[in-house]
Amino acid sequence: MELSWDVDRAGDVSLVRGRVYNEGDVPRRVRVESRFDAPVLPPRRGGVPASGWDDSGATLRLDSGAHRAFGFAVRAPPVDPPVEVAEAVPLDPAADTEPSAVPTTAALRRLGEHRPPRAAVIGETDEPDRVTDSDAGDTADDALDSSGPDGSKCERSDRARSPTESDGWAAAVDSRLDAVEARIDRAERLTDADVATATDVVADADGIAALSGLDDRVAADAERLREVSERAAELAARAEATDAPIAALERLA
Amino acid sequence: MILAVAGGKGGVGKTTLAYNVAAACDAVVVDADLGMADLPAGRGPDLHDVLAGAAAPLETLRAGPVDIVPCGRTLAGARAADLRRLEAAVTAIERARGTVVVDCPAGRRSDAGVPLAVADACLLVVSPRAFALADAIRTRELARELDAGLVGCAVNRVTASPPTEAIADALGAPVSVVPADPRVGRSVTGERPVVDAAPDSAAADAVRDLARRVPAE
Repeated sequence: MELSWDVDRAGDVSLVRGRVYNEGDVPRRVRVESRFDAPVLPPRRGGVPASGWDDSGATLRLDSGAHRAFGFAVRAPPVDPPVEVAEAVPLDPAADTEPSAVPTTAALRRLGEHRPPRAAVIGETDEPDRVTDSDAGDTADDALDSSGPDGSKCERSDRARSPTESDGWAAAVDSRLDAVEARIDRAERLTDADVATATDVVADADGIAALSGLDDRVAADAERLREVSERAAELAARAEATDAPIAALERLA
Repeated sequence: MILAVAGGKGGVGKTTLAYNVAAACDAVVVDADLGMADLPAGRGPDLHDVLAGAAAPLETLRAGPVDIVPCGRTLAGARAADLRRLEAAVTAIERARGTVVVDCPAGRRSDAGVPLAVADACLLVVSPRAFALADAIRTRELARELDAGLVGCAVNRVTASPPTEAIADALGAPVSVVPADPRVGRSVTGERPVVDAAPDSAAADAVRDLARRVPAE
């Protein structure tokens, strides 16, 4: 087997390009291993590593006299040599090609990306690509997790939570409450206001048109807030009353 | 038994038939249309949460005339969804509840393909118009490559008599004709499956005919 390579650096990532050549007379299964002290970041499609790749390298099938190019990234400083041929097993030329992958993996490799582009998502309150502070997220989740035996969220796994769940809802609640607070401020200033104050408020709001329906909306706010507050208080009381013996169950499991 | 209801083209009535066939099979229906969910939404966790690793599959089940696993409505949720989790999720529901009907999205991207890869069998929905058939044929090819056996084909919302033989020949599967019936159209939003709402109608007959083609295991 012949192996050649080339390594580039980009930030703290090493980019490895390589080529293997099977000079033998029979097809071979070649195992190319990374010699870096970090896991290989293999080529991917739809989040699935390309066929034959894993954390430490790739297993490739080469026909007699065939070249094959490969490439990967790794978060580690360059080493020399960056790759080595760990194994080159002659194969029966009549044997079938590479083993077929599990159906989901095969579908993800073959078919186009389904995810909406990031640009389409930005602006939604619960943007999932946002990097969250994991400690803050965990604290919020711990509070959420103790929400009781009927709490639909109590079985969720500890890590790998979507940020939507972790702090997105808290931010969403805060921003809703901020909007409601601004409306109530305005309504308070107008309550029993003299002409000068009322004129100020109308000027602040850019005209009376912007205040149209304010009374109805504040009344609706009051009703909704009371419902939310009752439900929140009730949930908090139930949450405090629970004592789920998770640790004991985990010991038994 | 996991049955994918697919069709390639959008708007041919995949969701409606998935819901009604699930009713006739006493199955759970999973809304796998990650970007454009159509089945009624729930208030709790949904399929987006499951695919983001943030909820267990069984806690998303929403009871009704047909039990539903609803799908989230946000693009952010669709973006966070990892389809590699779909197989385990659908299999967990199958283990707990028996037959699962998966309502697939339109198109030939991975969100349409992975449910077919996960399913044991699939049912194609076509509209009686010629242009819809081309998409159905492509989806049939995809299902074949991904090993989802085609159990039948529904020609949906039929008013005049459609060329069923030509469609059956093109798709290589038995064809059931589902006549246009407003009760079928309303069945999903009203959560009244046509086999319950109008059991004697021709549409209910067609739905039961499709359900009979779904192998028990």
